Amino acid sequence: MSRPVVIAIVDDDRAVREALCELLQVEGMAALGFERAAAFLDRAGEFDCVISDVRMPEMDGLELQRRLRACGSAMPLIFVTSLDDETACAHALRAGAIAWFAKPVADAALLGTLRVVLGNTGGGA
Amino acid sequence: MEPLSHQEAADGADPELPPALLPRIGDVAHAGMDEESSAWSVFDISGARGLIARIAAGDMPDGWTRALLDAVRVVDIDDNALRALGPIGGRRRMVGAPVTVYWPAESWPVLAELIFAELADIPGAARTRKIVSSVFNDATVNISTDPAHPDLVFVSVGGSVTDKRSLWSLRASEERYRTLIHHLPWALVLVDSTAMLPIFDELRAAGVSDVGAHLDAHPGLPFESRAIVRVTDANRNAVELFGAGCADQLIGPVDYLFAASPDTAKRVITAHFDGRRNLTEIMKLRTFDGRLRDVQLSITYPTPPERLDVTLLMFEDVTERLQTEVQLRQLQEEYARAARIATLGELASSIAHEVNQPLAAIAMNAETSLRWLARDEPNLAKVEQLTKRIADSARHASEIVQRIRGMAGRHAPNRTALDLNRVVEEALMFVCHDIEARGIQLGVKLDIGLPRVLGDRVQLQQVVVNLLVNSLQALAGRPHSQIEITTSRDGFGGARLSVRDNGPGIAAEDLHRVFEGFFTTKQDGMGIGLAVCQSILAAHGGGISAANQAQGGAFFQVTLPPITD
Repeated sequence: MSRPVVIAIVDDDRAVREALCELLQVEGMAALGFERAAAFLDRAGEFDCVISDVRMPEMDGLELQRRLRACGSAMPLIFVTSLDDETACAHALRAGAIAWFAKPVADAALLGTLRVVLGNTGGGA
Repeated sequence: MEPLSHQEAADGADPELPPALLPRIGDVAHAGMDEESSAWSVFDISGARGLIARIAAGDMPDGWTRALLDAVRVVDIDDNALRALGPIGGRRRMVGAPVTVYWPAESWPVLAELIFAELADIPGAARTRKIVSSVFNDATVNISTDPAHPDLVFVSVGGSVTDKRSLWSLRASEERYRTLIHHLPWALVLVDSTAMLPIFDELRAAGVSDVGAHLDAHPGLPFESRAIVRVTDANRNAVELFGAGCADQLIGPVDYLFAASPDTAKRVITAHFDGRRNLTEIMKLRTFDGRLRDVQLSITYPTPPERLDVTLLMFEDVTERLQTEVQLRQLQEEYARAARIATLGELASSIAHEVNQPLAAIAMNAETSLRWLARDEPNLAKVEQLTKRIADSARHASEIVQRIRGMAGRHAPNRTALDLNRVVEEALMFVCHDIEARGIQLGVKLDIGLPRVLGDRVQLQQVVVNLLVNSLQALAGRPHSQIEITTSRDGFGGARLSVRDNGPGIAAEDLHRVFEGFFTTKQDGMGIGLAVCQSILAAHGGGISAANQAQGGAFFQVTLPPITD
């Protein structure tokens, strides 16, 4: 029995987090925001996809990715960040991230990527 | 000795003076006195006859001694009297003046009583009275008349000068005094302000205790005072300072001294009224050739037994010194600004990230709004909500830009009473993102009872930012890193700020050098952050110190003095 696809958004900046949620919702996707990576990891099993910032206090996006993989999750991970760091970007993609978008992300690009990813997971919005 | 040209020229034979009057050596009333050991004066009492007659008839008004002496004019004085009593302005200025202008106020009653007794012909009245004199030991003042000159009285002051050398030494001392005055490296002006004393008496009698407030209410008084209070002498440097041709040009009413600083004139009068000994302040001075100079005025008011008619005004030209200080402050601000820009450079990626966040939110919210509007049935309520968020984010971005502009911009140093806690909070906005992003635990302990400090907001923010950047660079790549920033009272009424971290600390051999300009242990550091902190604190009258904590990590402490009046 399938449940609706839910996307997690992890960003310490409230304005960005809310804007991402709104963008997904206008296209009929269900999204839930998290201020801290640790809070998301506690509930990671509830989501089909995660969009995360990289630079965040307490736990950054790369550590989130490492822990997600360490517990065996293959959940699609998309980074949306202001961090201009090629090394970190390459590292994230090698570790299996779907995409690395620079803020401000073009809405069509992000939504297009999500549709591909969600199609691959077999879920439907 | 430097000749007192304006005075010596006046002290020769003066055709207007009656020649036969002085000296009256050998007069019976002055037995035992001679030219060497007495000082002679001749007074015209004609103007005082009316008052003397009133007093003789039993009507003795309050303050009659002063009134009587005001009505008695100086006809002539000899050289000894000139030395002993006269203003340095010289005989020419004394002749024709009321006796009160130069006779020491403390013996006015004695002199007035002698004159009254002599002219009212009081039987058995003494012709000789003792007075206190700074010139003679056991000084006595004698009075006599001459039937050939009914309007004149002859007054001599003498004392137990058993050894004429004492008088010579007095003269020598006076010579030295004049030499000293004229060769002092400062501009010196001697002022006779005794004309203010009766005005002060009247004010006190009228119940005035705050003369400053009285002057504010009666702006005419300082103006009048400047006309009746007179400069009696000036030294070479004063002539030079005022751009005058000779000292004579400086002799006269004091109004020109305060032409460019009327408020100083008020404070000078107030200090005199309040019985203060000294007054020092920086004032503007307009020279005779129209230049405006900054001078430090130092006044010494006379107190008995000093001559009440000699108030010393010293002027030191500080124009260049003040200009240099202004230039130094400008340089210091330029240096501090350069360092602020360098610090902003070090924080650039963090700042870019911070500015980009609201911009990203704005872009996404705008795109989402367009998507709602493009629907067959646009969701206007959603669009309104998103537009509000766009406005909020734009404001937020603008605040960040303003903050950075404040740090990077050029501004004149501006000292105001500041809450150091607020300065810390503002500084934290620059670095807290960096601190959080690096996973550094930040502890902030602000003392809410902190006294205000006098300072430049931007420069003090800069000190806090520099210390925090210093700590977070020291903590790079270290696990469990912590920074603690604390404010507290320093026990002397001032404020203290501490920044400590659990980094590697400062190498013992570097501790004494950390505040040196261009000293750095970092590969990409310029070594100006801490040096500029020190220069900012020095300019604020405060201090900064560096130490290592016992448990490891650096400890920086800043102190700022309390605000003084």
